[in-house]
Amino acid sequence: MLRESSTAGEMDVDITEVTQDAGVSNDNDIAAAGLLSDFAEAVVRRDADETARLRTRVISELGEAAFVDAAATAAAFHGFVRVADSTGIPHSNAAGGQDSLALQHEVGIDQFYAASLGDRG
Amino acid sequence: MKVFEDTGLTIRDDLKTAHTRAWEGISRAGTWLTGERRVAVSAEVRNALTCDYCRAQKEALSPNAVAGKHTGLGDLSPAEVEAVHRITSDPGRLSEDWYQSIISQGLSPEEYIELAGQVAITMMADTFTFGIGAADHPLPAPQGGEPSRYRPPGAKKDAAWVPITEPDDAVEEDGDLYRSNKVAYIQRALSGVPDTKRDYWQIAEAHYLPNGAVRDFEIDLRAISRPQIEVIAARVSALHQCLY
Repeated sequence: MLRESSTAGEMDVDITEVTQDAGVSNDNDIAAAGLLSDFAEAVVRRDADETARLRTRVISELGEAAFVDAAATAAAFHGFVRVADSTGIPHSNAAGGQDSLALQHEVGIDQFYAASLGDRG
Repeated sequence: MKVFEDTGLTIRDDLKTAHTRAWEGISRAGTWLTGERRVAVSAEVRNALTCDYCRAQKEALSPNAVAGKHTGLGDLSPAEVEAVHRITSDPGRLSEDWYQSIISQGLSPEEYIELAGQVAITMMADTFTFGIGAADHPLPAPQGGEPSRYRPPGAKKDAAWVPITEPDDAVEEDGDLYRSNKVAYIQRALSGVPDTKRDYWQIAEAHYLPNGAVRDFEIDLRAISRPQIEVIAARVSALHQCLY
């Protein structure tokens, strides 16, 4: 979805950054990508201090409504990953079948634990 | 909703409504679980976040390499506690063998689906409040009532670990399951328990996007752009090691 949405917006984005330790950088065409990536990571790690610090920055740089939607998106995917991974739905046709094996390899998600389990179905 | 008001932030009305409905729904008897069990699942989700065994499993190269026991609250069976804790703490490393081990302990596939849905709803609601700096919403008091025990006649185990009601197999008694016959597996995942699917998606759509808008990259429904939304989505998914 990141690739598709950035392609639709004719943006230059290195999607391999999403799996790297440093997260998504600002070296792309998406405004505040690095900040939003860092905020998402702080939320996943349940780091209250870092989340609070980044909350202030997101509100300052993008506005309160944008911050609420950023927090809502981060929360949404705490649900989606659990639904997908607890039910064993097949992942080979995720994102409308756009997530090819080549793309999984390029991004590095073929190194995830579940990749060794086949298509989960 | 007081926990939102205390932050001083202006929260979208549809988000507030979705949270209110979610907690009210958790308190009611579901299809297979009583209100007491559903609230107990939410309590166990919160408890899992501080479980030492969950932390040890998460840090291990393989979750099966660590011996130990979850610190449960005592209101759910051992199989339910294992399911809630693993789905909460380490969902990216679940396997079909693990799922079958839960089922072999006496939890029906439908009970498991409802439980997994409650875990996902609770995690979504609690993560939002955490993200905006609010306190956890107080757990609701369970309402009485008996589970409906409705099993969709078309549900079958085929594409996933759990039984799924494919769009072509849905019947009128299932209620509103799909808006079209062409839907992603993430939308079918909980369809073995139609009410759980609906409960989940009413809160999920408020946080992410309405289903009809997910593949429309031109539409602009939020205060952040679609690529910004997907940066967050991709980073959260990657940190969970979610292939989907």
